[in-house]
Amino acid sequence: MRSVQALAVVLLSVLAIGDASAAGEGKSGGIFRIYHRDSPGSASIHEGATYSLNVPFMPIFSNLVIFDQHIAQNSTDTIRPELAESWAWSADNKTLTFKLRKDVKWHDGKPFTSADVKCTFDMLMGKSQQKFRQNPRKSWYDQVNDVTVNGDYEASFNLKRPQPALLSLLASGYTPVYPCHVSPAEMRTKPVGTGPFKFVEFKANESIKLVKNPDYFKKGLPYLDGIEFTIIPNRSTAILGFVSGKFDMTFPTEVSIPLLKDVKSQDPKAICVVEPNNVSTNIIVNSSAAPFDNLDVRRALALALDRKAFIQIMFEGQGDIGGTMEPAPAGQWAMPKEMLESIPGYGPDVNANREEARKLMQKAGFGPDKHLAIKVSTRNIAVYRDPAIILIDQLKSIYIDAELDVVDTAQWFPKVARKDYTLGLNLTGNAVDDPDQSFYENYACGSERNYTNYCNKDIEKLFDQQSEETDLNKRKKLVWEIDKKLQEDVARPIIFHGRTGTCWQPYVKNITVMSNSSYNGYRYEDVWLDK
Amino acid sequence: MATINFDSELRKAGANATGGWRRLAFLAQRYMLGTVGLVIMLLFVWTALSADLISRYDPLSVDSAHRLAPPSALHWFGTDSFGRDVWSRIIHGARISLAVGIGSTTLGATLGVIVGLTSGYLSGWVDLVFQRITDILQSLPLLVLALVMTAALGPSLPNVIIAIAIPLIPTVARVIRANTLALREQPFVEAAKSIGMSETRIALRHVLPNTIAPLIVLATAQLGSTILTEASLSFLGLGIPEPYPSWGRMLSESAAEYVRTAPWLVIFPGIAISLAVFGTNLFGDALRDILDPRQRG
Amino acid sequence: MFAYIVRRLFLMLVTLFGISVIIFVLLRVVPGNIVDILFDAAGFVDPADKANLEKELGLSQPIVLQYLHWIGGLLRGDLGYSYVSEKPALEEILPRIPITARLAGLALLFSASIGIPLGVISAVHQGSRLDYALRVVSLSGLSLPSFWLGLLILMASVSMFGTMPIYNPNPRTWLEALSIYAVPAMAVGFRSAALTMRITRSSMLEILRQDYIRTARAKGASEASVNYHHALKNAVLPVITVIGIEAAFLIGGLIVTETVFNIPGIARFLVEALRWRDYPIVQNLVMFIAVVVVVVNFTVDMLYAAIDPRIRFGD
Repeated sequence: MRSVQALAVVLLSVLAIGDASAAGEGKSGGIFRIYHRDSPGSASIHEGATYSLNVPFMPIFSNLVIFDQHIAQNSTDTIRPELAESWAWSADNKTLTFKLRKDVKWHDGKPFTSADVKCTFDMLMGKSQQKFRQNPRKSWYDQVNDVTVNGDYEASFNLKRPQPALLSLLASGYTPVYPCHVSPAEMRTKPVGTGPFKFVEFKANESIKLVKNPDYFKKGLPYLDGIEFTIIPNRSTAILGFVSGKFDMTFPTEVSIPLLKDVKSQDPKAICVVEPNNVSTNIIVNSSAAPFDNLDVRRALALALDRKAFIQIMFEGQGDIGGTMEPAPAGQWAMPKEMLESIPGYGPDVNANREEARKLMQKAGFGPDKHLAIKVSTRNIAVYRDPAIILIDQLKSIYIDAELDVVDTAQWFPKVARKDYTLGLNLTGNAVDDPDQSFYENYACGSERNYTNYCNKDIEKLFDQQSEETDLNKRKKLVWEIDKKLQEDVARPIIFHGRTGTCWQPYVKNITVMSNSSYNGYRYEDVWLDK
Repeated sequence: MATINFDSELRKAGANATGGWRRLAFLAQRYMLGTVGLVIMLLFVWTALSADLISRYDPLSVDSAHRLAPPSALHWFGTDSFGRDVWSRIIHGARISLAVGIGSTTLGATLGVIVGLTSGYLSGWVDLVFQRITDILQSLPLLVLALVMTAALGPSLPNVIIAIAIPLIPTVARVIRANTLALREQPFVEAAKSIGMSETRIALRHVLPNTIAPLIVLATAQLGSTILTEASLSFLGLGIPEPYPSWGRMLSESAAEYVRTAPWLVIFPGIAISLAVFGTNLFGDALRDILDPRQRG
Repeated sequence: MFAYIVRRLFLMLVTLFGISVIIFVLLRVVPGNIVDILFDAAGFVDPADKANLEKELGLSQPIVLQYLHWIGGLLRGDLGYSYVSEKPALEEILPRIPITARLAGLALLFSASIGIPLGVISAVHQGSRLDYALRVVSLSGLSLPSFWLGLLILMASVSMFGTMPIYNPNPRTWLEALSIYAVPAMAVGFRSAALTMRITRSSMLEILRQDYIRTARAKGASEASVNYHHALKNAVLPVITVIGIEAAFLIGGLIVTETVFNIPGIARFLVEALRWRDYPIVQNLVMFIAVVVVVVNFTVDMLYAAIDPRIRFGD
């Protein structure tokens, strides 16, 4: 059943690709100029955990499979072949086999084979001699026993148990295939890929340059002669540069709503889209120490939040309220509205909620005459700091006098790991809109990114259950149930899911901004300039 | 030596005023720019001291219904992206700037006096060591040193004060040392020595008071630059962190985002910084003219 | 004279040594290092990976050894490798120096060409309304935060010309090249111009009071000739003084200006490297800046002595 479905997907996607290249509307030539928001630490996507790396370097690489670059909502139905010609699940859903293209060369001329696939994933699983400096997504492959090859053009992932989501993880911009013959250190400075563009240079804090790969395995692509990223950390300078025509596009999903208005007024021709980016702003609660070891105080906190006010201030209303999973319609796993509103604190009547919260606070021994003094810790970055300021203001309504504690980036995670905080304001970005990625990373017992050490064995069983479920509708119901429980437990109260803008000049064609991830949509193989 | 002598100064300037008020009025007239500077400075200090009385809103209070409101009768200087009243924030920001300005100038001057006085008075190897330390501090640009220091200490009000104060030490120490060296040769110091006064006492009772005038001139001149340095540090994200309404921070990144849609967020804090610094500079200039006539321009 | 120069050179070395120690120690008392920053993006720190990386970068060695390693390398011309880009630090720093040097040179040129004439005018018309106005303008130049000025210039540029100067390593026209450097140079040079003006004015006043000027006047030299020929010749000194004072100040101003105008010079690079805790870059850059300041000060003193015979060598 599953493999039939997969086959259908493959057929569909082959058609889709046929369409794109047959249309032949693209004009070749031109340098695509984008500003970049900061200088990424290295050029190695596997060793990074910020989309600052994916945007400029994704065009260099190819994946086994990739989310369709022209469909905003990533889902299992939009996965397309790339280095793999086709894929199939075994009958027991425990082996995923890819048949690979035979006409692919690395940028240095060496042929691409199944050995490169094995090398890449062995390294990610920590099984090879060569090691990454850091390996932030090792846990994605927890269910993979090993990767085996059959000849030069077939590779299989052998799983410990069925995990349909694995294919989605492999289709993320975070999962390029690396060459066996290039060391991780070289990949950080001079990456070699099989993608539509070749790496030219990366000058820290200055620019990143890519040039067309004439031997790209998709004939006739890419259209662009090259891509140039100019690194401009100062947002207003960058936007001024865009409206004055120095750039063809802004850094993707980085233009805030107020700046968007600015762009529109300065440059009415510019095309701008606003999409959710599957990043949730949430509160990490230290429930191992007073006062938040008290469930009543935690509940009061959850009830005190006026999510609409946050969204009004941060996004001029253009944000979404939800649980852990990205809200609908962009998100595929969001629970229905009625279910969401039944969770304490999500009800529409903020005043009633806060009244209840005050009662809980009084029960815990606080009141108008005895305020609770705490610190809200967060990083010294505007997207963290700003919601923290609003949170502090809202906490006043439930007898909490909070003070902002701004923490230097280098000290933030060590501080969180030491549990040296009371409340922390945190952002959680999801590369793939799939519960496996969100739940295991953030809520599983012992996971590194489970900052609050929330650990509930019953819920963890449900994590596994949904992960193995191959029936999409059944899986969704399970996911809603889990998400609701996580919110009721005040494991990590989700305040809102943000939206951000991307703008480009009208002559830039074939740009699609993803609506449920900001990590996957930057291959740019068929982007062209109508000049 | 720049000993303070108002009377001779006044006579030289042709004043025959004797009464306190008339003398003051004369000074104000003679040093008009300085008086303007003094008024600005007093206004600045008064604002900082009475911030709670004259601010119309809580500077930290968020109001989602009135974000980015342009200046109006309700919000004189408009509101920021959180709906916080910019007027109230600037008023409270005066406290931060004043705290940084006075705090770091005082700290820097005190340490500078200690270094300069010891160095000039004791001479010998102490002098040599202190001289090298001031050399070192002076060979690093103020902002570079302050940057590295705040990065090392972490961003907070006391740390920013320390980071800005340290680079001030050499400037003060140099002047005090030169003065001390000259004073040491003066007859009254010789006399004090001959009657058996201890060295420390001589230094504190006779040498120090006579270096006050150049010190005040120098400190006033530095006051403005400390306020500017704090603003620059905040602009680079290493200054005083939220929630303190520091002028430099108000101007920095987040405010710059609204440069076109809400220019009042950029203009008013910028004016506040410039005005405060301008006032101290004007006053400092006049003070130098009065107290240190040799340098008069 | 010779002995004095040798003594000065020796003291310069002592100073530089002191700076190297201070910078080195300051950087290492900072809580958190490059490894924390690298891991930060991943959202967690793996202790084993962290230990490996610290070992690889030599951060696990005793601090004295690390220092000796750095200084030893420095003396051999080996600046080490950037922790972030993994390229030789020299390769990262060298190409950025001319950019900042051009900016600083233009700023000084701007400040001299504006500051000296205005200073002279102000002094010649001492006490007049013009003098007052110029003094107020120059004081305001010392009061405006340069990043604010830069921001205002950028805003004005976009709304008036629809474009703005953005750094481009290969400017197509000389006009573009000029605008790339000239606008930021003016933003940062405004302050220096104000300072130059003040110093020119006060030294002009002093000179105008002096005897030989009176003599020249008595001999019937025209007022203009006295003012501009005799006096200005002697006003070179204050300019040299300004350069001496400003060398250090300018670098501070350049840090914010390069940030506002997004110019990839060494000043902004320093801030970025600090943010990443990229020790090899920060250490070497600070040393470079210190060397520049020390050498400029030394040269200024030498020039001073060469031009003004009244100054004798001594402490």
